[in-house]
Amino acid sequence: MKKFLLYKKLGLVVLSFALAWLQSDVLFAQQIRVVATWPALADLTRQIGKDLVSVDSLATGVEDPHGVPMKPSFVPRLNRADVLVLIGLDDELSWLPGLQEVASNPKILPGQRGYIDCSVGIPVAEAARVLDRAEGDLHPKGNPHYLLDPVYTKIAAQNIAAGLSRSFPQHQATFEKNLKAYITELDSWIARWEKLTAPLKGVKFVEYHQEWVYFANRYGLKRIGAVELKPGIEPTPNHIVNLVQQIKQEKPQVLLYGAQNPRVPQQIASETGIKVLRLYSSSGGRAETDTYIKWIDYTVRTLVQAVGQA
Amino acid sequence: MILSLKVPRQIAVSVLIVTVFLIPGLCLAQTSELEAIRGIVKNLEQQLQKALERIDQLEKEKASTSARVGNVEKSVQAVQSAPSSFNPAIGMVLDASVDHRAKAGGDFNFRAAELGFSASVDPFARVYSFMTGSREGFEVEEAAAITTSLPWNLTAKGGRFFADFGRLPKNHPHEYAFVNTPLSIERMVGGESKADGVEINYLFPIPFFLRATLGGYNKIGEENERLDDTKSRAWSRFTYLGRLQTYFDVTDHQSIELGTSLAYTPSIRVPGDPVGGDRTLGGVDLTYRYQPLDSTTYQGLTIGSELFTNSERVMRSDDVFRRRQAFGGYSYAELKLNKSWSTGFLFDYAPSIESPGKKTLSYSPFLTWNISEFNRLRFQYSYLDDKVREDKAERGNQFFLQWTTVIGAHTHGFRGR
Repeated sequence: MKKFLLYKKLGLVVLSFALAWLQSDVLFAQQIRVVATWPALADLTRQIGKDLVSVDSLATGVEDPHGVPMKPSFVPRLNRADVLVLIGLDDELSWLPGLQEVASNPKILPGQRGYIDCSVGIPVAEAARVLDRAEGDLHPKGNPHYLLDPVYTKIAAQNIAAGLSRSFPQHQATFEKNLKAYITELDSWIARWEKLTAPLKGVKFVEYHQEWVYFANRYGLKRIGAVELKPGIEPTPNHIVNLVQQIKQEKPQVLLYGAQNPRVPQQIASETGIKVLRLYSSSGGRAETDTYIKWIDYTVRTLVQAVGQA
Repeated sequence: MILSLKVPRQIAVSVLIVTVFLIPGLCLAQTSELEAIRGIVKNLEQQLQKALERIDQLEKEKASTSARVGNVEKSVQAVQSAPSSFNPAIGMVLDASVDHRAKAGGDFNFRAAELGFSASVDPFARVYSFMTGSREGFEVEEAAAITTSLPWNLTAKGGRFFADFGRLPKNHPHEYAFVNTPLSIERMVGGESKADGVEINYLFPIPFFLRATLGGYNKIGEENERLDDTKSRAWSRFTYLGRLQTYFDVTDHQSIELGTSLAYTPSIRVPGDPVGGDRTLGGVDLTYRYQPLDSTTYQGLTIGSELFTNSERVMRSDDVFRRRQAFGGYSYAELKLNKSWSTGFLFDYAPSIESPGKKTLSYSPFLTWNISEFNRLRFQYSYLDDKVREDKAERGNQFFLQWTTVIGAHTHGFRGR
C-alpha cells in the first residue's frame, strides 16, 4: 500500500512537470507571439509591438521568394503563433498554405483575426491582365515586391498595427503610438532617400526577376528587360542572345539580381560590360541589413554608388 | 560756327567717355542681378518640376487605388450575383510515358490524368479530391474532408485518402523523384496507401516537430488483396494504424526527417486459409535533405530510404500456424544540378511476401529536366534482377521517358513537399 502511494505521488509529480513543460510558454511568457514570413515584416512588427511582442521570421532573407523550403520545423512555430504577418498577393503561395494545413492553429488561417495580410490597400503594380501560364509563373493579384517602395511600406505598417489591435484591442493605443513614431522615423528616411536617389532618375536597368517595379516607379528608374524569359521561367540561350543585343543597344547601367544564380548575370556582364549587383528583396539577406530601414538604405546607397561608377 | 561745333563735340566726347567707362559697370551690376534672378527662376523651376512629379505620382496612386477599389467592388458584385464564384480550385496533372522493357516490349503508357478539386467547406472543414483516369478506367483516388479548427492540436480526416503510412506510399506517383513506384512499395504496401477510413492527427505542443497519427481503415493499399473492402465484416478484419513523425534542422541548410509506422490487421484473408491470421506491416522512413537557403531553387540533395517489414500468421497444410516474415525497402538520392536539371539513383529491394526468400533487386539511374515548375521530362534506365518470376515486365533492362504536365491549381500540400 505504501509502495502504491509512493508511485502515485511520483506519478503526480511527473505529470505536473510534464504539464508545466508543455504549457511553460503560457505560464512564463506574456508576450504576443508573432510569426512573420519575411525578416522585413518581422522588423516592422517589432517596431510597432516593441516589448509587447516576440517576433519570429520564417524565411531568413536570402531565399528566393519562390523557393522558401516548406520545413516541418516551421510548423511548431506557426502552431504557437498568436498572429501571422505575411506579404500577401500570393507571395507565399508555394510554401505557407501547406504549413498552415498541419499547424493546427485556426487563429492564423486566412480571414481570421490573427492573419495579417500586409498587402491590403497597396496600389498593386503589374496585376496580370491575362491569366495564362503561357505568360510564366504569374502572380494573379499583382507584383508582391511592394516593400521595395518605402512609401507603400507605411501602408504595410498600418496593416500590422491594425491587425495587432484586432487581436489585442487592449494594446491598441500603444500600437498606434509606436506606429506613429515609426512612420515619423520612416518619413525622415524617405526624405533622405528622395535626395539620395536623384542620380537614379532615368537610369536604365535590367532585372533577373520582376522584383523592382515598385522601387523603379518611386525613384524614376527605367526597366528595359529581364533575364528570365517570363516570370519564373529560366532564360533560353536565344533569350540571352537577344538580351545581350538589347543591352548593347540601349546601354542600361546596371543588372540587378537577388536570390538567383549569378551565372547568367555574370555571363551577360562579361559580354556587355554591364555592372551586376546582387540586392536581396528582403532585409536580413546581409548582416548589415537586419532592419527594414537599413535594408532600403543599403539598397539605395549601393545602387547610387554603382550608377555613379557606371 | 567753330565754337558752336565744339560744344556738341565736347558733349559727344563726354557721352563717349561715360559710355565706355560707366555703362559696362552698370551692365555688370545688371548681369549679376540677372544671374541671381536666373538662379531663383531655375530653383523655382526645379521645385515646380518636383511638385508636378509628386502630383503625377499621387494621381497614379489615386488612380491605382480607385482601380483596386473598383475591382474589389466588381468582385463583390460577382460573388453576390454568381454562386459559381464559390467553385473549388481545379487542376489536372497529365502523366504519360514511353516505356521499353526488354522482356515485355514497348508501350505508350497513359499513366494518369489526375483531376484535383479543393475548397473550404465552412469555417470548420475543407475538402479535397483527386480523381484519376488511366487505362484501367476512372476512379476516385482520394476524396476526403479534413477539419480545420479542432481544439488541442487535433485534426481529423475522413473519406477515401492515402493513409499516413510511410513517406512515399502516401504520395501520388507523379510526385516521386523517379518514374515508377518502387516494387517494394507495390508488393509490401499494395501500391499507394489508398484507404477508406478515418484518421486523427495530433501535433505535439513542443518546440520541435513531432506528429502522431492514429487511423482505422477498410484496408491500406489498393492492390492489397489480403482484405476485401467491398462488404461489411467483423471489426477484426479492418486495419489500424499508428505513426510518429519528427524532423530536425541539423543546420540552416541540412535537415533530417524520421518516421515510423505500424499497420495492424487482426485478421487477414490469405488464399487457402479459411481462418486467417493477423498481419503487421511496419515501416521506418529516413530522409536527409541539403537545401542551401540562398540557392534552394538551384542546388540541393535529397537522400531518402524506407524499410518495410511484413509479418503475418499463416496456416501450414498440417493445421499448424507459423509466422511468415518479409523485409524490403528502397533508397534513393537526388541531386539538383541547377534550376532545371536534376539527377539521381534508386535502389529497390522487393521480396515476394508469399515467398520471402525470393526477391527482385532493381537499380535505376534517372535524369530530370524541369522545363518549368509545371512541365517536366524524365528519363530513367532500370535493371531488374528478378528471382520472383511472377511478371516478365519486372525483369531485365528497362527504359522510360516520362512527361508530366500540370494545369490549373494543383498542390498536394504538406505531404508533397
